[in-house]
Amino acid sequence: MKLNKNYIQTLIFLAVYLFGVYFWAQPYLERKLPYGEYDAMSHFEVADYMAYNDRSFMALPDYIDLRYGNDNKFRPHTLWYPPTFHASLGVMEAIGGERVLPVFFLNTVLATLVIVSVYFVINSLFGFLPAILSAILLIFSPRDFMPYIWGQWPERFAYAFVPIILYCFYKYFTAYSKHDNKPVYLYLAALFLGVNVLIHPLVFFHSVIGLAVLYIVLAFKQKKIVFNWKHIAISGAIFLVLFFMFPYQTFNIFPQFTGGSGGNAQQSSFELSRVFQWSLNPQDYAGSVPPSYFSFSDMNGLWTLPFLLLGILFLAWRRESRDLFLLAWLISLYLILHRDLIGKSAFLHRSLSASAHIFAPLAAVGAVYAVSFIKTQSNVKTYLKYTAAAIFVYLVFSVNMAYASKIINKDTYNPNTSNGFFTALNKEEYEAAGWVLKNVPMNANLTVLGIPSQPNILDATSRKIRWFAAVAQHVTRFYDLRPDKEEILKSNDWYIMLDYTMLGPLNDRQTFESMQQFEKMNLTKHALVYNQNNIRVYKLET
Amino acid sequence: MKLKSTEFKDFAILLSVSLLIILSFSFFFFGIAGVRVALGIVLVTVPFYLILNNFELEEGEKVVFSVLLGLTILPSFAYLLGFLISFRLSMAVIFTILVIASFLIKKFRK
Repeated sequence: MKLNKNYIQTLIFLAVYLFGVYFWAQPYLERKLPYGEYDAMSHFEVADYMAYNDRSFMALPDYIDLRYGNDNKFRPHTLWYPPTFHASLGVMEAIGGERVLPVFFLNTVLATLVIVSVYFVINSLFGFLPAILSAILLIFSPRDFMPYIWGQWPERFAYAFVPIILYCFYKYFTAYSKHDNKPVYLYLAALFLGVNVLIHPLVFFHSVIGLAVLYIVLAFKQKKIVFNWKHIAISGAIFLVLFFMFPYQTFNIFPQFTGGSGGNAQQSSFELSRVFQWSLNPQDYAGSVPPSYFSFSDMNGLWTLPFLLLGILFLAWRRESRDLFLLAWLISLYLILHRDLIGKSAFLHRSLSASAHIFAPLAAVGAVYAVSFIKTQSNVKTYLKYTAAAIFVYLVFSVNMAYASKIINKDTYNPNTSNGFFTALNKEEYEAAGWVLKNVPMNANLTVLGIPSQPNILDATSRKIRWFAAVAQHVTRFYDLRPDKEEILKSNDWYIMLDYTMLGPLNDRQTFESMQQFEKMNLTKHALVYNQNNIRVYKLET
Repeated sequence: MKLKSTEFKDFAILLSVSLLIILSFSFFFFGIAGVRVALGIVLVTVPFYLILNNFELEEGEKVVFSVLLGLTILPSFAYLLGFLISFRLSMAVIFTILVIASFLIKKFRK
């Protein structure tokens, strides 16, 4: 086999990408336990229910409906997103033969596919060097992996489609003439746009605005209007087939779009200064995302700024069609990020998470092509180009990777450290939840003692309880917070779990003794049905 | 864009080497479940690669596009069919239908 240059480049990219997957997989690599915020639980629940029970479902099961029953405004008590993303996880859970690892592994692959699509598009348009530099920088983008570890899974995957949709349209537009054209690229753009809406509606709007800006920019550049009824009709049909595939879910876009602001964002009046700002005011999102999320320096590394500006300058100076492709993508993201100026501020901070997808290639183009501004011999230019690329890689690993490693590592949501002690299931709790799934009737609920429910800690431990419900596929509630404690003790519909696993590390002797007392005094008519690893489950004897 | 036979052979070797690297990586870090997931991704990709192979596209485009379509379109249809039959069985049925569709497209485009 003659090793051609493209194949070597592909293998280099594969190595970079797999390192990215490893880096992002650290929170579950060793423990193989589920983790994340509420959104992560919901995505796991939907996929796992499908795969574990080997069937699709329309009405939400009780333990999911409890929280998400009204999230679908168009058709309450059904899935609030189209099932495309979750079915994909479900397929891999079925193939993987386990419940946790296949879901989390595939999710890592899906969330990092934006690295593949950015690499692919930049490699096709600008060559290997800017493409691989973009990919390396994207691996350590906190605005990408933070939402991923929190649980905004479909959104992360959906962003992988934006560059692909723009690329397909670019190929169609640039190849179009009266005598020759490649409509397959427009059909593919429509197909990916349809898939995009099935995965995440917000990102679909990114793609639509991107297409509009790209069309205008290319029309000016190439001085042609591309309009073909036949191509548009076929593309429209492809898109509509996908849009109507899951009408209960896709129609939920409309009440959501016309609804409130979403997130913590405040409806703001027009402020001229916003026009000159890329990021948003961290105070408007206090409690939702950390202030660092809005910092260019923290999220991209201040060192990328000169390269980014050089990249924009170079593209604006050269203005080839491929240059305008990147600039159009940048302009479209600017427009999306300033939709609050027309009163549409819903999930504005979520759109900010797409910044690195265009910043990384622009910075890489800046690093590689900056030398174009210097008048010197071509061999010196080549030397300078590779020197700039080497400095770029050095800075990515020394600055961005160092920063990223503090946020995403094997201690992220680790129940054995303070990082995840109150929020994530420990191994004993995970096993108990698995036992509940297999042994407790589907119509029965679970109530728990031993997991702290005091107001100061409730926000954190509520997540642990929800993870328990997700793995057990049963409604799970804090016993101490129930108003119907007496009825629960007399009911066959409630199983009572005493979780002693957290009390040792907390050195909470008082709760330990009160739980022992509770067992002796209140569970005399109950049978002990599970007693392992300091977790006990009781059911009323009939 | 159709490849010449020598180019196709080289491309097949590149795919095999890549697959070997991916499977080794998956096994080392994720165990046997990881290998099964990696193979699963390849499996859902194959029908779309066969379909896209009927059109004038670059090899890289076919690979990237078929991964994205395999991870979305196939599970979506499997979900729909999953209302009638078992979810696992629906995956197999949809896979088979898509492979047949790729050959039908090839036949009708000749």
